[in-house]
Amino acid sequence: MKKILPVILLAFVLTTAFAYVDDALSFAQEAALPYVKKGFSVREDAWGGDLGVKEQQAMQAQLFKGNEYWFCLGTDVKGAVLTVNIYDSKGKLVNVETTRTGRLSAVRVVPPKTGSYFAIVTVVKSSQERTGWALVYAYK
Amino acid sequence: MPNILKPVAVAILFAAASGLNAQPTPDAVDLSSFPAKAIDDVVVPVPSEVFLVLDKLGNPNWRGEMRESLGRQTGNRAQAALLLGTVIAEGFVAVEAEDPEKVKDIGRRVLALSKAINVEKAVLERSKSIIDKADVKDWKAVRKEFDGALQDVKGAMIELGDGDLAQLVSVGGWIRGTEVLTSIVRKSYTTDGAELLHQPALVNFFSKKLEAMSNRRLADDDLVIRIRKMLTSIRPLIGEEEGAPIPAENVKKINQLTRDIVVSITSQET
Repeated sequence: MKKILPVILLAFVLTTAFAYVDDALSFAQEAALPYVKKGFSVREDAWGGDLGVKEQQAMQAQLFKGNEYWFCLGTDVKGAVLTVNIYDSKGKLVNVETTRTGRLSAVRVVPPKTGSYFAIVTVVKSSQERTGWALVYAYK
Repeated sequence: MPNILKPVAVAILFAAASGLNAQPTPDAVDLSSFPAKAIDDVVVPVPSEVFLVLDKLGNPNWRGEMRESLGRQTGNRAQAALLLGTVIAEGFVAVEAEDPEKVKDIGRRVLALSKAINVEKAVLERSKSIIDKADVKDWKAVRKEFDGALQDVKGAMIELGDGDLAQLVSVGGWIRGTEVLTSIVRKSYTTDGAELLHQPALVNFFSKKLEAMSNRRLADDDLVIRIRKMLTSIRPLIGEEEGAPIPAENVKKINQLTRDIVVSITSQET
């Protein structure tokens, strides 16, 4: 039993961690739904984790001029305010349109050039010490 | 959800000013304040992201880009993973060509190759779905299934502790996708078309991943060594500055480099 207990505890911790990321992912996918109806394809890949309040996290993405993208962010924490903003490789903001409803945020980007862009996720406000988030993107 | 926890390693916390929620979104950020590991990982696009732009730029002959043979698997795990990547990329080409028989053939092949590297279960449903949706010519759904198959295969490999092998699937897909991209662009060259090749972060990302492989057997594989050299050769050809024109001559060179590697992957002639 002594050997099994840590395994059970680890399994519990991992299950809990995946659960909140799963919840955040569900919200991110929900945020993307309106754009699917507008002909966007949502990538199966997703990115996520957890952040403290006012912490930020960045992901680098290769975007192509000629496409249009929606980056959709979800969180598992009710009442939390998270943002996602897209910057080009020189650090210039390239957001074209942003929306936020409850746990969902989204930003539209029409890349002016083909190249590297950075999606920066920020936890602006949250009642929790750590706030789970997930990001998906759609393209057309 | 294979990459869902990846940003835990990738991501970076950088100092945020107090009272952030009262501040408007900054028009610019200093990306140099990100420690190097923040930009180590790159979101690898699926081939259809670039193929979509090609469709908008003209009317490519997608059928003319399809390979008659999908290649053969020789038993080497590195080659099998690379081949799987090229076959999935071929799936995206066949979807663009709207060729249901080819798509179904590729769906079956994805399953067979996944079996060879012990991740068959992960793509069984995807493979069936690809075939079903190709039958009714639901191309958008097929494209999504190929994207999903790619993620599922990589996720299953990572779960099995084969992260290096998973990377090779991505690399194989990127090489075949780039071969098709350059083939189309060089046949009807425009600077806008060539600009799609400006992918320095991706090239650097793949180079780093292949150089940092922990599995020495994979790292020393002949194909992997050749791909590392190919990436080094491609790097100066894809433009230093964003928006800088990539000449037709460079497009041709990249096409040759990627085509040679695809031939090697698919026939294992090294």
